[in-house]
Amino acid sequence: MDFNKKTTLFRLIIISSVLMIGNGIRTKDKMYENIDASKACFRRLNATHQIGCTSERGGSTGAIHFCASQSDLDFIIKNGTAPPYVPIIPTNLFTSENIARLKKTPKISGLLVYPSESPLQHFTHEQQCPNPASSLPGSCKATNVWNPHGTGLLYHDIPFPVFYVESVESLTFAKECFEKYNNFSFGGQRDRSLCSLQLLSFMYAATNSSTCIRRSNAFTNLNPVRFCDPLGDQNVWAALYPLVKGANLTEPNRNAKYIIVGARLDTTSMFDKTAGAVSPVTGLVALLATAKLLKEMTTNDNNYEKNVLFVIFNGETYDYIGSQRFVYELLRGKFPAKSGDYLPEITIDDIDLFVELSQLNWTETVVAHYLNKPSDFLLKLYANKGGLNLDEASDGLPPGSLHTFLKNRTELPSLILTDHRNGYLNNFYNSIYDNATNLNYVYLNLSKSSDSVVGDNIQKHIQNVSTMLAKSLYSEITSKSYFGEKIADLQFIDELFYCYLEDSNCRVHQAIQKLELRQQPLSLYIGVELAPHFITTLVGLTLGWVTGDVVGEGNANCTNEPKNYALRYYNMSQSLDDLNTTLCYRITMNFTEAVSPAFIIDGYDWSSGQYSTWTESTWGDIKLRIFLKPSAAHENMTIAIGSIVFIFSLIFVYFVKSRSHILFAPQLPTLAPTNC
Amino acid sequence: MPNDKKLYLCRWYFRAGLALLPFIWTVNAIWFFQEAFRKPEYEEQKEIRKYVIYSAIGSLIWLVLIVTWVTIFQVNRTSWGEFADNISFIIPLGSP
Repeated sequence: MDFNKKTTLFRLIIISSVLMIGNGIRTKDKMYENIDASKACFRRLNATHQIGCTSERGGSTGAIHFCASQSDLDFIIKNGTAPPYVPIIPTNLFTSENIARLKKTPKISGLLVYPSESPLQHFTHEQQCPNPASSLPGSCKATNVWNPHGTGLLYHDIPFPVFYVESVESLTFAKECFEKYNNFSFGGQRDRSLCSLQLLSFMYAATNSSTCIRRSNAFTNLNPVRFCDPLGDQNVWAALYPLVKGANLTEPNRNAKYIIVGARLDTTSMFDKTAGAVSPVTGLVALLATAKLLKEMTTNDNNYEKNVLFVIFNGETYDYIGSQRFVYELLRGKFPAKSGDYLPEITIDDIDLFVELSQLNWTETVVAHYLNKPSDFLLKLYANKGGLNLDEASDGLPPGSLHTFLKNRTELPSLILTDHRNGYLNNFYNSIYDNATNLNYVYLNLSKSSDSVVGDNIQKHIQNVSTMLAKSLYSEITSKSYFGEKIADLQFIDELFYCYLEDSNCRVHQAIQKLELRQQPLSLYIGVELAPHFITTLVGLTLGWVTGDVVGEGNANCTNEPKNYALRYYNMSQSLDDLNTTLCYRITMNFTEAVSPAFIIDGYDWSSGQYSTWTESTWGDIKLRIFLKPSAAHENMTIAIGSIVFIFSLIFVYFVKSRSHILFAPQLPTLAPTNC
Repeated sequence: MPNDKKLYLCRWYFRAGLALLPFIWTVNAIWFFQEAFRKPEYEEQKEIRKYVIYSAIGSLIWLVLIVTWVTIFQVNRTSWGEFADNISFIIPLGSP
């Protein structure tokens, strides 16, 4: 008896453990094959509109239709008999005409985009006049738009989900499934099982920013949800000379004049992946190289009349978020933060000159665009241009942070350096194709000694631009010409491009901090203010490194130096060739908020259009999976069988109950307790 | 249950429903329907019938009011904007 009990127990344990292992995956999950590494298009909102894509609440489903050419897409729109469909199209078919058609037809429930095999002529979904509402009026003429190939699709409200899939395995899997189940006798598709996709990218926010912000803060809501978050990050800035003076560097250096050298940090794209080689990386690298060279030129030379502020603006893609906030703080005496007692207050009138580095692809001519001609500085640029061709243009200012400054101080002497005179030469502005290939960038992997670089390339071009600019800035701040031999550091430029375009675990990033980074470029999309943005910190530290002063050996004492608001101390590598020797750097770099003033002003009038109002919708889950959808007849059969079984079980239970006295012996009634 | 108890209960259900509790009226009307209309006549039945009818009418009026309000609210929720959000306990995700 006892023995039997034990064996039974033992068997039960074995059986249940087998069942547990076998039941690891639930049936409903076994039906699906996930497609990883897909990049969704999501929803953003501003004061008046919602843009981007969303799926149905539980995900949108549709039968796959793999399109290699326009005729495949036309065919399914015209002849599809088993809607809804999810076409899988190459990027060259992702045009505004096709999206307009897909929006019109009820047969489409979603869209997948994959990289086209043939090279594209252009792929930019930014508007033809970027940031039309926040740029100076009249700066983009209908006859001469800045982004001539722009489709503006980024700013369309697309009512179905769109995903971008790069993974070759996933695409092959989807294609094989399509060939096996879908790609024959289209007339009979209704009568058979079809390979289908489920696209889940349901967006919580709707209508516009004011609505979703209001709803996020609704106190009557029983189920508090964040519907959307403001786009935001941080601007990076550093001063060539500290903003403080005195023996202990504690006294604010007031009444100084400043030159701002600006560039932008962000880009965007239709999907949750960015590239940004020409815009913003060329301008950004040129700024960092200029800062490094200018620092080298002016070391031990404290005889300056003006200081230089290097500012890297964030969120400029979305109505100049970074520069709007920067100017907002300048106008209110809040820049730099903690100014007053510890730091000088810098106002917009303290700026003598504003130089912006915009797209600087390797072209024959660098064009200086301006509204208020900074004649002196232009002469200096001409004097220092070396082998470059320099040209001027004053008919309309290309989009840039300068617009925000000029709106608030119209007579500010300023210019924007670009590679184009009229429309952008970059045919992939704000898209996934603005990559190293678009820039013709090839990593040179230089060391300090290998100076002989054969041929011309983008690195050399940026070197020339930076050298010209640094020399001109030198004579601007010291009132004397530069006769030294220094030129911009080609190795540094090459490494920076490598960091931002190919591998974030590059030498520059190893020199400035100790974390091991992933061997792929970091996203340059601004994102929401709550999320951490590693790229901004890295760019900040890089700027700090090149503009910092060495104050001693690198050791633990360095970071323990007394902190004040003007200066920070970091241990950083001595040079790119000697990453292991660290020195103690005293840097002036700091961050400022890059969140639109619209979100910090109480009772901001959303309809005023004064500041950027972009927000990003929140979402629950973004998922793409493939499954076999049974035919309509099969589905009807399943539900019919289920219903019949249910009804029969009811009848059965009724009969059993009505004859229960046969099964169970009737209990003898005891005495009734009351007489009711 | 004695008939006077039934009347007592039915009356109190009706009175409780006056405190803006239409569901109590509905329950009252359904629960005492048999007593009021189906059972052979007895002394308190007339009273009970009265309360059952009142409760039924009351719940019908409430039903009409609620259906009207829900329709008006759902149709106009979007155009009322902030006001509609403020009087909502649950704001649907992803809709205007």
